Amino acid sequence: MAAPGGTGDRPSGAGPDIAVPAEDAPLAVELRGITKRFPGVVANRDIELRVRRGEVHAIVGENGAGKSTLMKTLYGMHRPDEGEILLDGREVSFRSPADAIAAGIGMVHQHFMLADNFTVLENIVLGSEPTRGGRLDRAEARRRIVEISDRYSLDLEPDDLVEDLGVGDRQRVEIAKVLYRGARTLILDEPTAVLVPQEVDELFGNLAELKREGLTVIFISHKLDEVRRVADAITVIRRGTTVGTADPRTTTVKQLAELMVGAELPTPETRSSTVRDAVVLELENVTVAAVTGRSLVDDVSLVVREGEVVGIAGVEGNGQAELVEAIMGLRPLAGGAMRLAGEDITQWSTRARREAGVGFIPEDRHRQGMLLDAPLWENRILGHQTRPPAVKGWFIDRRGARADTERIMREYDVRAPGADTLAVALSGGNQQKLIVGREMSARPRLLIAAHPTRGVDVGAQAVIWELLKDARAEGLGIVLVSADLDELIGLSDTLHVMLRGGLVATVDPSRVTPEELGGYMTGAHSAAGAA
Amino acid sequence: MNRVRRTGLALLGPVLSIVVALVIFAIVILLIGEDPLAALQVMTDLGDRPSQQVQSIVVILNRAVPLFLAGLAVSIAFRMGLFNIGVEGQYRLATILAAAAGAAVALPAPLHVLLIVVVAMLVGAVWAGIVGVLKVTRGVSEVISSIMLNFVALGTASFLLTGPLRGSGPGESIVTTKIIPESGWFPSLNGLLTGLGLAEPRSELFGFLLVAVVVGVGIAVLLKRTRFGFDLRATGLSPSAATASGVDARGMVIKTMLLSGAIAGLIGLPELLGNAHRFSTEFTAGLGFLGIAVSLLGRNSPVGIALAALLFAFLDRAALPLQFADIPSSVVTIIQGTIVLAVVIANEIARRLALRSAERAGAAAGPSGGEGGGSSPPPDTGPDGGQRIYTGVPGEPQGVES
Repeated sequence: MAAPGGTGDRPSGAGPDIAVPAEDAPLAVELRGITKRFPGVVANRDIELRVRRGEVHAIVGENGAGKSTLMKTLYGMHRPDEGEILLDGREVSFRSPADAIAAGIGMVHQHFMLADNFTVLENIVLGSEPTRGGRLDRAEARRRIVEISDRYSLDLEPDDLVEDLGVGDRQRVEIAKVLYRGARTLILDEPTAVLVPQEVDELFGNLAELKREGLTVIFISHKLDEVRRVADAITVIRRGTTVGTADPRTTTVKQLAELMVGAELPTPETRSSTVRDAVVLELENVTVAAVTGRSLVDDVSLVVREGEVVGIAGVEGNGQAELVEAIMGLRPLAGGAMRLAGEDITQWSTRARREAGVGFIPEDRHRQGMLLDAPLWENRILGHQTRPPAVKGWFIDRRGARADTERIMREYDVRAPGADTLAVALSGGNQQKLIVGREMSARPRLLIAAHPTRGVDVGAQAVIWELLKDARAEGLGIVLVSADLDELIGLSDTLHVMLRGGLVATVDPSRVTPEELGGYMTGAHSAAGAA
Repeated sequence: MNRVRRTGLALLGPVLSIVVALVIFAIVILLIGEDPLAALQVMTDLGDRPSQQVQSIVVILNRAVPLFLAGLAVSIAFRMGLFNIGVEGQYRLATILAAAAGAAVALPAPLHVLLIVVVAMLVGAVWAGIVGVLKVTRGVSEVISSIMLNFVALGTASFLLTGPLRGSGPGESIVTTKIIPESGWFPSLNGLLTGLGLAEPRSELFGFLLVAVVVGVGIAVLLKRTRFGFDLRATGLSPSAATASGVDARGMVIKTMLLSGAIAGLIGLPELLGNAHRFSTEFTAGLGFLGIAVSLLGRNSPVGIALAALLFAFLDRAALPLQFADIPSSVVTIIQGTIVLAVVIANEIARRLALRSAERAGAAAGPSGGEGGGSSPPPDTGPDGGQRIYTGVPGEPQGVES
């Protein structure tokens, strides 16, 4: 497909360069102008990355900023549309992860890919077994694994069953797996997400060993204090592109956070308060349990009034998604009650809730918000299958649906050739505007908006913010879940912070700063505040 | 214009696959040392005299009707991402029970036929419903359970035929159920043919053809124009989006399997009501499996399935003349097999072309929108999640991705 090279020139002034690569050490990995598009979105744009040999290089950015896409490009899981990948100064082109492995790049995935009922040894050699006479040469495998384990202090016992190992040990098995295949550059995708603090310390010890042996580590994270502890250099990614590099010794967490979040973005500030007295949604001790019995949403109580935007801040994976699904009736409650305008809706189906006036802007529009292979007018019907103008009795009103789709396209500035266009052909921003328009068209009294501006361009973002503000002024109650702290602070009338499934703090959005909020979100307010 | 283009792309897959199948067919004929053109001529030769030609057409239509119903039954489940492999068992069991019920009662003509039809649909629906209930309550894959239930159904049908429902005498070579009284026969359409000035064929054109047409139109309307059909198609396109839109996924699985099974129950009826009038060891088998192929070839649309059924029936008819011309009739099976294989590949190619043209259309419409997206990162799962939503064969179960 698209050959590497082409128009890889980077437009200048994409962001402030805090630190300049000091010495001209050989670059282990260099990415020039990497751009990767997917249908409807540009996941990476003009990525510039320089990783020196023998350093721990951190890549930080918010969830959805494009870190994982970038690493998949580097690991050969897909090919960039534009740009060049250079290893040790030579340009390379990977067709598959096998090529990347052969070139000395290894990836330790966030979710371990180990066979539980195999031993450490079997897991490590799986896929590249040393053989003798067509049989697995266990002695040779053991020799090499012990050698790797000793050299990098991984402390592995080749005959242990993986199912008996803890999370930290499993991660070391993953690292050994990569080293066994001869990797000189390791990519660690959010390696600390699953570890407890002591294990994090051990991991950092291992990374120091790797570094001492001259290996290069690319460390992906959004935990800024960890990054500052372990990294030799930091590259910040925001909205799919690299916005700057930083030296962890001279950069504060605050500066990093500003780079990550981007303080210069248009502000979503709301005007005067429009909160009325009438309660739209009331959650009372809502609890959602995982299959394992652990609480994903833990005893959450909150109230949304007419004309009020209730923001929910939190690091992703702290129960916001589950809370949203519970409100939409997509997840059963383990306990608690929900009331919509005074009526108990705890047992209602999703359809009944939607009919009662709950609009939904899902977090992942491709998964929950659209039928990508269907035309726009059918997408207009989605979620409104029981209500006019799209439906007449038991039948679909095609003409009505088309006409209303065209109205939405006009009023909400959805750029598409017509109502018969397939949804997949639209850019992310236009898809999102269609969803917002669709949900608003049913005149809901409550809107559940999960990351309403994620993955949309700045222009569409401003439009969506404006729409939400107008709807709020007309008395709509909104639950806003977002990872964009400016968005949360700017739009919310009330702002809750969610941590490990529970609401841990309620802050005044007119006073709180993104840094303070970030402190609450990580549960270490004082530490972040001092930095 | 856009629509013409899309229709063209939709036709591209099947046409391409038929061409590929013909090429492979020619190679096979060459390999066995015959002349492909001569073989093709034998296959397309419907006969010299008008009565022979009409007879050939009747044979094709009579074969196409059950194939169409089978394809329809499979496609309904396909449309929402369910593989109903159990159509075979559903129709065999439905047919024998319907035959027995028809033979056991005496009713005025239209009611008698209606009773048989209703019994067949109910049995098919119940048998398919088991698959749905197992999937919803126990999470059993419908592929596994419907294949397993095929064995149970075929075994049960054999048992019923040789045991409680046996109507033939002890010494007869063919075991049958009791014959259905004449009031339970479906009148043939031969009168219509002669009325049109065509020659009287030797066989009777199944009157059930009309029922099949009505069912086809009904299903087309149901899928395209009703809320139920929308929910069904939405679930097939994206189960997660359908659920979030308020579709009750579990209920839809059951309803769809019941509907698919009810249609499957009709498959044996053209023959049962048209000329056999009893179920026997000789009763046409394998229609359920052919239905899967027909449904694939017809891209799950009722019109496409009708065309695919006619094509398959046309090929089946050619088996006999081919044998007369000393060409093994199994080349027909080879063609059918290669068509299905090719259609899977061609559909994928056509789908990609359609996608690309859709993307171009989108890019042309909103240059600023498209370019503006440049600054937009997808959600972490976005790129893959987004791409994998539109995978592969129509009707491929979307659930596997999650």
